[in-house]
Amino acid sequence: MYNLTNTLMIEINNVSFGYTRKKLLYKKLQLTLTTGNIYGLLGKNGAGKSTLLKNIIGLLYPLEGTISVNGHAPARRAPSFLETIYLIPEEVHVPAVTIDRYIDLFAPFYPLFNREQLMAYLEKLEVATADKLSTLSFGQQKKFIIAFALACNTKVLLLDEPTNGLDIPSKKRFRQLIAAVMSEERMIFISTHQIKDLDNLIDQVIIVDEGQLLLNASISAISEKLSFKTVEQIPADRQVLYEEDALKGKAIVVENSGKEQTKINLEHLFNAITENPSLAKTIFNH
Amino acid sequence: MNDTFSVKRFGWLFKKTLLERPAQLMGLTALSFSLSLIIYAVVRMMSNFDDAQNFSFLVGLVGGGCFLASFVFGQFTSNASGSSFLTLPASVFEKWLCGVVITGILYLFLFLIFFRLMDMAFVGIYHNGLDPKAAFYQEQYNAVHLLAYDELVARSSFIMFFNFAGIMLVGSLYFNKAAFIKVALITCGICVGAFLLNLLIAKMFFSNMQTAFPYYMVWLMKGKERGRMELPEDSMKVVAIFFRYLIPAMLWFLAFMRLREKEF
Repeated sequence: MYNLTNTLMIEINNVSFGYTRKKLLYKKLQLTLTTGNIYGLLGKNGAGKSTLLKNIIGLLYPLEGTISVNGHAPARRAPSFLETIYLIPEEVHVPAVTIDRYIDLFAPFYPLFNREQLMAYLEKLEVATADKLSTLSFGQQKKFIIAFALACNTKVLLLDEPTNGLDIPSKKRFRQLIAAVMSEERMIFISTHQIKDLDNLIDQVIIVDEGQLLLNASISAISEKLSFKTVEQIPADRQVLYEEDALKGKAIVVENSGKEQTKINLEHLFNAITENPSLAKTIFNH
Repeated sequence: MNDTFSVKRFGWLFKKTLLERPAQLMGLTALSFSLSLIIYAVVRMMSNFDDAQNFSFLVGLVGGGCFLASFVFGQFTSNASGSSFLTLPASVFEKWLCGVVITGILYLFLFLIFFRLMDMAFVGIYHNGLDPKAAFYQEQYNAVHLLAYDELVARSSFIMFFNFAGIMLVGSLYFNKAAFIKVALITCGICVGAFLLNLLIAKMFFSNMQTAFPYYMVWLMKGKERGRMELPEDSMKVVAIFFRYLIPAMLWFLAFMRLREKEF
């Protein structure tokens, strides 16, 4: 049984990855992730969000550089590593078995699996069936896998577009559940392009685009550095990272020079960072 | 924790592999056995017992074995099932061994038991149908016997089984979709290619050659007579060892290496 109190780190050192060497998705990516955080990985379609998750769990191997997950090299896919990490892919796989049979077949591989927790999570997500899991709708299957993954109590949980296929009430319950199970010993890494689904959930934002890491900052750091508001006139004395026509003027993202407290709009943040990467870098390194 | 092999973990994996897709696994096995039974019955009606036994044994063992071999690592048809398989906390060796045990041991022994029972039934029916008072009863009785698993046809079938099942195991790890068909086509292509290349080379050495089989023999014509030239005994032994042991061992080991390197 491994020790839950150890601080876990995912270290991505100078990782370059591409499906061909000519077209790299990541170029010398440098990233360190630690427990106690819910990371939101944001990127455009095809930016390599799923690819990064697959590199972290060892389904894909970097062309250059190294990845270390609490000292493990993911590419070896050792059982002692795999029992501490769980990937929920965008498309989930459930065999044609009942919930009890699924638990019987899959749970033994995860030493910290807790059946009572699973039942509670299933109840919370409103998944109940005595039939085979394959007869459930896609959304229900996904909720089952989310509940099972959480009940495995792995230190690292990787979620690839977890809210795809979930209805609006389920998205809300999903957010509540993730917030409830989060602890200092855990790390949750969520990749999505449905940015609004992560509102009030993540505490660390990672934005990748064109092979580069554009932002890796906590919500508090973003609040401190940037201001999100709607104005009638764009202020002339502020550096504007992003502007968009809104109902009552213009929604803008500007440098927060006056320690204003504004609510972060993740969609606007994403646009601001991807459209002005160099300015964003200057602001955040300031 | 032993990251290479644990009996307990292998037990869980084996159970999971058998019970996760029981309908497909048992269905495929039942289909192979049924095909073998039908072939036995049909060929028996159209020809003699030897042909029925040989053909049925070959198709059931080699054909069924290939089907199963392409199925045990068949999780890569979808992104979700492939990820689930590779990220399941069991070692690569255990996952590979599971495929090997199901295809190379479990199916083999189940088929041998099934075939023996089927053969006993057919041969028994034939023997019971004979009239003990008939003039050639003893000759007729002795003419039909159970297929011995150490006879030439059975031994050749075993060699083919381990070679082709090995090819299928490797192929299913290279091709994510329609692996069976793709591997079958490539294997046929390689066999035909090897035969034609060998024929071309043999033609350069023998002007009176009728046909030639790779690594084995050439048929030569002398006037209207036909004769065959085989490899010297020592060389034949080397070739036999190569096909019986080395190639299957390499193929089954290659499946392990491919599974270890598999990216998905």
